Amino acid sequence: MAEGSRGLSEPAYFVLAALLDGPKHGHAIIKTVLALSEHRVKLPVGTLYGALDRLAAGGLVVLDREETVDGRRRRYFRLTEEGGTQLRAEALRLRQAASIVIGTALA
Amino acid sequence: MTTLERQYRLLLRAYPHNYRSDHGGELLDVLLETTEPGRRLPPAREAVALLVAGARTRLTQAARGRAWPDGLHLGVTVLTLIQLATLVPYAGRVPLWVAVSAAAFLAVLRGRVLLALPLVAAAGVKVWGITHGRPVLDHTILPVYADPLWDAPALYGTGGPIAPAVSYLVAVAGLAVLALRREPVRARSWAWVAAAPVLAGADPAWLDVGGGLGGGSMPVVARVALESALLAGAAWAGRLTGDHRWAIAAGAYLLPALAILFENLAAQTRQDAVHWIVLLTLTLVAAAMPHRGRRHAVL
Repeated sequence: MAEGSRGLSEPAYFVLAALLDGPKHGHAIIKTVLALSEHRVKLPVGTLYGALDRLAAGGLVVLDREETVDGRRRRYFRLTEEGGTQLRAEALRLRQAASIVIGTALA
Repeated sequence: MTTLERQYRLLLRAYPHNYRSDHGGELLDVLLETTEPGRRLPPAREAVALLVAGARTRLTQAARGRAWPDGLHLGVTVLTLIQLATLVPYAGRVPLWVAVSAAAFLAVLRGRVLLALPLVAAAGVKVWGITHGRPVLDHTILPVYADPLWDAPALYGTGGPIAPAVSYLVAVAGLAVLALRREPVRARSWAWVAAAPVLAGADPAWLDVGGGLGGGSMPVVARVALESALLAGAAWAGRLTGDHRWAIAAGAYLLPALAILFENLAAQTRQDAVHWIVLLTLTLVAAAMPHRGRRHAVL
């Protein structure tokens, strides 16, 4: 990996994937990741917010809005253009890596 | 407040105060929402994740500003803490110099570089006198025996004079460099003060090489384990943040430690050799990790 480029950890990958269909708050991201991964990835709360902080610092997600529901403050995060680009690049890399084993030729 | 909520609030203290103020309530809500009903204690996975994420947030916040002056200040803070802890068991015999050393440590801790510089230098001159058997600056009766509470040899009685001199020289040089910058130095937490009596109990006078690890006493083993854990922590911090400040501090700590090695080369046991290899390796790893952290940043 070239200097300055950033890889995506598994939690970060799933967090970005969970935001593909629009902004979400923390609890909704956890539920979406659980569903997307077929109950394989249950993000601990500390891991989720740590990933969100790093993704926000890296410009891959941004704070969309804040809402207070039943006295509870919720931050909604949104995927940025850069975040979408990195997510697709990582997905392609994973598909390429998987094809080595599965034998599927890339288009 | 339920037991579960109380436990989560306790775990959230791993995060810095400002982070807790801004986001602690939100994290707590999500934690309580996602924990299965009926649980009284947090799942181990959530607890570990909170502790790791809290530590990571603290390190990320600590890695702000220029790395080398802060790393140098951290290194000098550690050295003056050890210098004080070394003198603590002799407080009844040399109370003035324990007080000077304590004042020096506190001044360094709170970023008062110009105040700390003469205090560390004075304590260094006094220690040089003690290690050379000369009563400089005041009439200290030599050798300086430990107070009855402590089961310790005479002050600097089991090592050579070079290592303590290197320790004070590195501290004075570091403070001089920081003073010449004429820029404010960060004040560190008062929590550091608690480490002085703890380290005194763990025998920080790491000059008894012959009877050190070779002797295998519990305080020495505890000290080496703590030292290794802190250096490993410095490497982890560098890896996470890509920042050199912890490696610089580790280097400042290593210099007097290496002086002990060379000064007592003939008296080294196999356990001592292992100790030095671990120390050197961890410091080198701490120095290399920030480069790796920058090359392989993972979000």
